Amino acid sequence: MADFDRRDFLKLVGASAGSAAAVGCSDHVEKLIPYVVQPEAITPGNPVFYASTCSECPVACGIHVKTREGRPIKVEGNPDHPVNRGRLCARAQAAVERNYSPDRIHGPMARGDTGDFEPITWDDALARVAAAIAEAPERTRLLGGAVGPSESAILERFVQATGGSRTVYEPFANEALRAATLEVHGVTGEPVFDLTGADLLLDFGSEMLDSGHSPVEHARQWAAARDPETHPDGGARLVYIGARLSLTASSADEWLAAKPGSEGSLALALARIAAEHGAPGAAAHRSALAQVDVARIAREADVAPAALQKLGRALARAKHAVALPPGPAVTSRRAVGDNAAVLLLNQVLGGRGVRVAPTPGTGAAYRDLLALIGDMQDGRVGVLLMHDANPVHTLPAAAGFEAALAQVGLVVSFATAEDESSALANLLLPAHAPFECWGDAAPRPGIRSLIQPTLRPLHDTMAVPDSLMEIARRLGGAAARAMPASDFRAFLFAAWDDTDLHEALRAGGIYEEVAPPPVTTSASNLEITAPVMTGEGDLTLVTFPHSLLGAGEGASLSLLQEIPDPVTSVCWESWAEISKATAARLGVAMGDVLRVETSSGAVEVAAYVRGGIRDDVIAIPTGQGHRVGHFASKAGQGLAGTKRGVNAFDLLPGDGVDERGGRAFLTERAFATATGRHRRLPMQQFNDNKRGRQLGEMLTLAELAELPAGDGHDGHGNGHGAAHGGGSHEIREPFDPADDASDAQYAETFNEAGEAVAFDSPYRWGMSVDVDKCTGCSACIAACYVENNIPRVGEDESRLVRQMAWMRIDRWVGDGEATLAAGRRFYHENREQLGNTDVRNAPMFCQHCGSAPCEPVCPVIATYHNEEGMNAMIYNRCIGTRYCANNCPYKVRRFNYFDHQLTKWPEPMELGLNPDVTVRGQGVMEKCTMCVQRVQSARQDARARGEEIPDGAVQTACQQTCPSDAIHFGNLRDEHSALRRITASKRGYHALHVLNTRPGVTYLAKVDRGGVDGGKGKA
Amino acid sequence: MSAPSATAPSALPAAPRRDSKINRDILAVMDGISPGYLLLVAICLLSVTAAGATWIYQVYEGLGIGGYTHPTFWGVYIVTFVFWVGIAHAGTLISAILYLFRAKWRNAINRSAEAMTVFAVLTAAQFLGIHVGRIWKSYFILPYPNQRGLWVNFRSPLEWDTFAITTYATISIVFFFVGLLPDLAIARDRARGLKKLIYTALALGWQGTARQWKSHSRSVLHLSGLATPLVLSVHSVVSWDFAMSIVPGWHATIFAPYFVAGAIFSGFAMVLTVMIPVRRIYGLEEYINDYHFENMARFLLLTSWIVGYAYAIEYFIAWYSGVEPEQTTFWLRAFGPYWFSTWTMISCNVIFPQLFWFRRLRTHIPTLFVVSTLINIGMWFERYVIIITSLGNEYDPAVWGIYTPTWAELTIFAGSFSFFAMLFLLFMKFFPVIAISEMKELAIHERAHGAGQGGH
Repeated sequence: MADFDRRDFLKLVGASAGSAAAVGCSDHVEKLIPYVVQPEAITPGNPVFYASTCSECPVACGIHVKTREGRPIKVEGNPDHPVNRGRLCARAQAAVERNYSPDRIHGPMARGDTGDFEPITWDDALARVAAAIAEAPERTRLLGGAVGPSESAILERFVQATGGSRTVYEPFANEALRAATLEVHGVTGEPVFDLTGADLLLDFGSEMLDSGHSPVEHARQWAAARDPETHPDGGARLVYIGARLSLTASSADEWLAAKPGSEGSLALALARIAAEHGAPGAAAHRSALAQVDVARIAREADVAPAALQKLGRALARAKHAVALPPGPAVTSRRAVGDNAAVLLLNQVLGGRGVRVAPTPGTGAAYRDLLALIGDMQDGRVGVLLMHDANPVHTLPAAAGFEAALAQVGLVVSFATAEDESSALANLLLPAHAPFECWGDAAPRPGIRSLIQPTLRPLHDTMAVPDSLMEIARRLGGAAARAMPASDFRAFLFAAWDDTDLHEALRAGGIYEEVAPPPVTTSASNLEITAPVMTGEGDLTLVTFPHSLLGAGEGASLSLLQEIPDPVTSVCWESWAEISKATAARLGVAMGDVLRVETSSGAVEVAAYVRGGIRDDVIAIPTGQGHRVGHFASKAGQGLAGTKRGVNAFDLLPGDGVDERGGRAFLTERAFATATGRHRRLPMQQFNDNKRGRQLGEMLTLAELAELPAGDGHDGHGNGHGAAHGGGSHEIREPFDPADDASDAQYAETFNEAGEAVAFDSPYRWGMSVDVDKCTGCSACIAACYVENNIPRVGEDESRLVRQMAWMRIDRWVGDGEATLAAGRRFYHENREQLGNTDVRNAPMFCQHCGSAPCEPVCPVIATYHNEEGMNAMIYNRCIGTRYCANNCPYKVRRFNYFDHQLTKWPEPMELGLNPDVTVRGQGVMEKCTMCVQRVQSARQDARARGEEIPDGAVQTACQQTCPSDAIHFGNLRDEHSALRRITASKRGYHALHVLNTRPGVTYLAKVDRGGVDGGKGKA
Repeated sequence: MSAPSATAPSALPAAPRRDSKINRDILAVMDGISPGYLLLVAICLLSVTAAGATWIYQVYEGLGIGGYTHPTFWGVYIVTFVFWVGIAHAGTLISAILYLFRAKWRNAINRSAEAMTVFAVLTAAQFLGIHVGRIWKSYFILPYPNQRGLWVNFRSPLEWDTFAITTYATISIVFFFVGLLPDLAIARDRARGLKKLIYTALALGWQGTARQWKSHSRSVLHLSGLATPLVLSVHSVVSWDFAMSIVPGWHATIFAPYFVAGAIFSGFAMVLTVMIPVRRIYGLEEYINDYHFENMARFLLLTSWIVGYAYAIEYFIAWYSGVEPEQTTFWLRAFGPYWFSTWTMISCNVIFPQLFWFRRLRTHIPTLFVVSTLINIGMWFERYVIIITSLGNEYDPAVWGIYTPTWAELTIFAGSFSFFAMLFLLFMKFFPVIAISEMKELAIHERAHGAGQGGH
């Protein structure tokens, strides 16, 4: 013991105490296990990107799937893909979650004696299906959504070989447009609308920026065609025709709040007026249009004849006008006629931007589905194989599909995740999730897009074509011979044999420019009658596709449930939009529960009272009303089997079809009555009056022209304030490096002697947001959630407005006024008005202020200013006093009231977390970091090359996905950066400029283009 | 020495009293435990336990069990914190400032007021912990040397707050203890067994020698001098928690004097609310009489006018500033969704205290009790108005919202009152509720110079 001296003793004590404390700290020990054999492409810590195709909707945008150590964690747009050019919508951003959904079926199951599903083996499952088909092959029916060409080929071979038949079913399939295209142009296919270079756009309710034909593509083209920086005249005008102020209408320059169902006749009226004023394509159709009675149409559509004349003349003047045909919400029983009229209008206007060519299309036909239901009811279906569709939810209850299922011998579901349809099946043969399987897509001529797996199947699942091939093999005979010898992957590769597959995999597909064939137009039948409505109610029921949830496909994803609806800000719930006059008549206010009744059904749903909807319309979004699913129903809240919201389809008749048997949605009149109950809607914004504060600014074209060029340092104001008659509307001066240096005194960067010092960093990170381009689509919010591991808080917490979103979109109607009329109850202010499209979408996130109010108040320096101009958070230091959030005038800080990461992410959703971003725990504050992890990653790359981070090397998640290119990130200290150029715009302003917070985010004001005639027709 | 005048009743009954009677009367409070007392303690204990359990649940589950909503990050906890800090002002004011001003009428109430100060500070301090998101890391707020590079932000008003509260608590406790020493010795002399042992330890060997008395009075004097600026500073610092921000409705230079006046106002009201029943139950009418009540009522009237003035000035400045968010906030305070709290505040703090213009009501015990209780309610609502209504409607109208307290916050809020009451109830049984030595001093003074202190 002589050698054991005091120092050794202390070392030992310290070491043992330290190790004891270290063990005591963690809840559970996890081991990092290195690869035994490291895959060639994977370097732990570095992401691997795979080019693939989005399967969330039929548009088929190209995507890059970002994987880390074999797990997809983020979806980014494929810049090479001609449809989306690197941009994505919110639904695509949420696609990662689908793979990790808690609803996923873990393996084949069969309904046991007790009626519950019991696991079985794949052998058993496939054999059972094969045996059932073998009994009566001709009574086999395959029902499912549209799939890619290669998979479709397998499905076709299967039904042909077995003698059954296949029915393609998509809830929203543009059937009327296809029928009209055939009628007017004699072509089987859907026209592709190209808005590039357009100067006047007319949306007849297609919702081109929201749920339309190709929203990401159209948002990009629309924004480029009207960028005020490159179009001094304001560029393209957008006119919206429809009953409610939808997301698309909110971005329009004019809005004709016409009666729903009058789209076709309005198109004819406009065609006639345009033809009279010399529209380029009018010659061929002038005589046919002569019979159109403009006055009668205006009267019946409830549109001012003068407005129609003005618009018609503008169409005639336009060099490149495009009219977009009606979307699902306004697909009436006369929809083919409506679509034909819009197609004709396009030809009258010169037909530019409308490419008509034969396309494969979805093949969906509602008429066939109704026939199938009839067969099922009559017991003529032995085996029903369902894939990629949830007809029990998306068909009207009145269609009788659910009852008909009971008459089918064996119902087999290939569903990936549990839904209403799979819950009624006898056998479950779960399919791979979208990121686990191979496939392809051919959305339009010239584009062939590949889907490649990026995740090894998490569960015991099989791709649908592989399952069918296995079943065919077990059937033997013709069926087995019809199938390719190996598996679906080999079949797919064979189908792509004519291409450089390696290159296709790298680029995500093969993209060629295909010149559209010349178009012939026949305008024989122009007689358009008013839509046939059933029911006795005094309101027209409009069931419109939910921006995020679609027909219900998105409802199982917590991300899409959590993101507030861009127009109403409601999340996790259904709502019924009614006008203020209707609400007054019914004696209801916001959130009061209405009973909505049609001839086919009734639902009880909370009222959303707004100014932006016609008095004779009640509008309910589709997508909710699920009774199965962790997030889709209320099962995740401990209320298994309870519906979340209402299913709008339940109000529709089973036989609502257009002239050609396509599915119609605008068919019902409805009664609404107050139930006397109230259910507070989970909304995130209650007030669209910005009270004239500097939050979502707008300039008229004239004001913009009068403003001096962007480099004047003439103090605040620049004259803009005077134009609005208020001193608070200051357009900020452009970035001045000399001025920026003085940020040091605000940012408090100290040297070791404790003296404030100027930054010596080459970077001052900043962002810009173009309010003029923002449509409110919320793709940025979705991207931010996925990139930054932001938890979803769920319905109850959303009702308390405790969402964790680092980014929200403030939606303002007009400039607002500082009224003091707020009542003694909760303030719900809605300033929308029919015909008014002055809506400003101002994405709001941490402004990274140079003089940040949040920084001095934190007692523990958990938030501070780094020398690159970022307002940074140190989560580990935060003790949760929440003073920073109180003192943030932008209210962009979010507090973890609960340990959301533990409680709100059911397994295996945590597999989708981004390993580069800290997962925040209970009791700490968080907010936008300007994707600092991306900056760090770019810094490492640059440092390895011995350079500074080049301009454009870092894109924030929101910027990267923004379809209309409204958001930019960059280095303000770099004179040549793209951001410096953008922020020098005359439209630049800082939010709440008067507080002198010196934000790092510059907003560009929205431009009031004065409608189709530049305001000349205005009083 | 003038004769007792009509406006200033005598501090003590005219008849000279013997020391032993004073001892007996005051120490009688400490003797015996009635069923009513036990019931009160039990109720308090139950409520404190409920609050404690709720707090543990909150630590486990998260602050989300409160009613916080996106714009309103501070709620009932901070409201109650400020309320208790305010209550804590009366003790030091009465003991220190009035001591320095030689206002003899303070003697009857200073002990209980000091005790209230200590208990109120202890209650308030807990809310700092209850309120934060990660109480297990809340020691980060202390500037102690460590190897993790952790340091505190001396620019943060919350950091100032930490120092202000701990300093104030320390001084209050020392002040309270020093004043208590002679009385502890009396208690020691009367006690037996274990009690005797404890009192002996607490009395620090007090013998009542001239030298000890001299040191004692010096200590009290110096501590008074030390405590006096604290009375003004503590609530000034607490007010800066708000005034240093840019929140409309908080960002006001008047906040420091406004808060100090409000604190004194609420502190005096609380002394009255507590002492009126204590006096009644334990028959201390001889020691706390109309003279004291009248003086306290006058003080309430004065401070009521100060806070009333502050309310008026806040509205005036909001209007005069021309700053729209400021104007909107104040308009919504009065007529928006929180109108109830504002009008409760104004009526309780400004309107009802005007009753004290009437001399009869200043000495009318039921009126005093009711009005002082209303002032307590009003002063709690004052903080509610300042904190909640300001946060509810700030600069970005898209995130205006409504805060409604939940069961958890109300349980802990109620528990804080029970905690305070429980401490006071226990205090009454363990320490003399009126400063015996000072009463004797008065009696001696009176015997020597005849009755009547009113002329001072």
